[in-house]
Amino acid sequence: MQITVNGEARDIDVEPDMPLLWVLRDELGLTGTKYGCGIAQCGACTVHVDGMAVRSCQTAIGDLEGASITTIEGLGTPEALHAVQAAWIEHQVAQCGYCQSGQIMQAADLLARIPEPTDEDIDAVMSGNLCRCGTYPRIRAAIHAAATTMREG
Amino acid sequence: MRHFVTVAVVAAALPFALPAQENAAPETPEAVSVELPDGENVEIALPESVSPDEGLDAWARIYEVASHPRCSNCHVGADNIPMWSGPSYGRTQPHGMNINAGESRIGAETLPCATCHAMNETGGNPEPHHAPQVAATWRLAPVEAAWFGRSSEEICAQLRDPERNGGRSFVEIATHLDHDLILHWAWNPGGGREPAPYSLQEHVNDVLAWGVAGQPCPGDG
Repeated sequence: MQITVNGEARDIDVEPDMPLLWVLRDELGLTGTKYGCGIAQCGACTVHVDGMAVRSCQTAIGDLEGASITTIEGLGTPEALHAVQAAWIEHQVAQCGYCQSGQIMQAADLLARIPEPTDEDIDAVMSGNLCRCGTYPRIRAAIHAAATTMREG
Repeated sequence: MRHFVTVAVVAAALPFALPAQENAAPETPEAVSVELPDGENVEIALPESVSPDEGLDAWARIYEVASHPRCSNCHVGADNIPMWSGPSYGRTQPHGMNINAGESRIGAETLPCATCHAMNETGGNPEPHHAPQVAATWRLAPVEAAWFGRSSEEICAQLRDPERNGGRSFVEIATHLDHDLILHWAWNPGGGREPAPYSLQEHVNDVLAWGVAGQPCPGDG
């Protein structure tokens, strides 16, 4: 089967019930997306499928024929960071950093759908992404900052 | 394949719509047997006549299904918060992760249900470590069909009231059960989850029997 990952067409030859997370990490070597819990409880494995944030540990590759996947490696580049990535650095959000690729992918999806989120919007959308270091105040601040950047261009 | 499954809707093939309080069996259609994409095979066949007592017995079984956690957890009210209740959860509680499905009832305003409840063409997810998944968009029932925690009398009154049941006759309720794959999941929830009682076919049969009996409810005078 064929999917597009970060703009590149990829042929995948695995069992159809293999979760997308396994394909990304073990088949394609894209290890920026993290395995956290494997049971849809933590959000560490969040990627975009056709522009929508999903938990890649929950998504069977067999249901993704022709899909366009974006991972943290494809969200921005070191030379042209996504606004959320830039805000993450500006606000020094990460502590241990394990959850941050999932947090950033979910936050990017949030801002694509809600350009001016309130604190309540952020809490509602981001509550499925856990941070064991408890950096939630910085996550919220960075999302507000990224929203401002995206609005002002 | 990620397209949504379009199921042949039996209702479209049934050339009648029955009044909600019809007592006698209407012109009985030939039994319609439909092979569904998830392997279920449901027959829509009205019994010729059903007594009021038999109708109440059928309703009692319908209530067992409607109030079962596989059904009621998503038949919640205008706060749009799905519930976690039943043997899988230990104690009754709101869905974890601060989930709110919004007025869209699919989470479009905040976090879509499909973030975790992915569209799954295999029509169910057998793994206990996966969020339940079906070959359809995961969602709450319409807010008019909220009945989590409500009594048998209350739910029965709702289901025979076209204002609150989506304008459906009892035959249309039965065919709705037939064609909506997310409802089939209740009897095949996978992952060690307790299924709804009886079977989809038995439940459809009970809805038809209850309807032919005149949709009696407990407490009717």
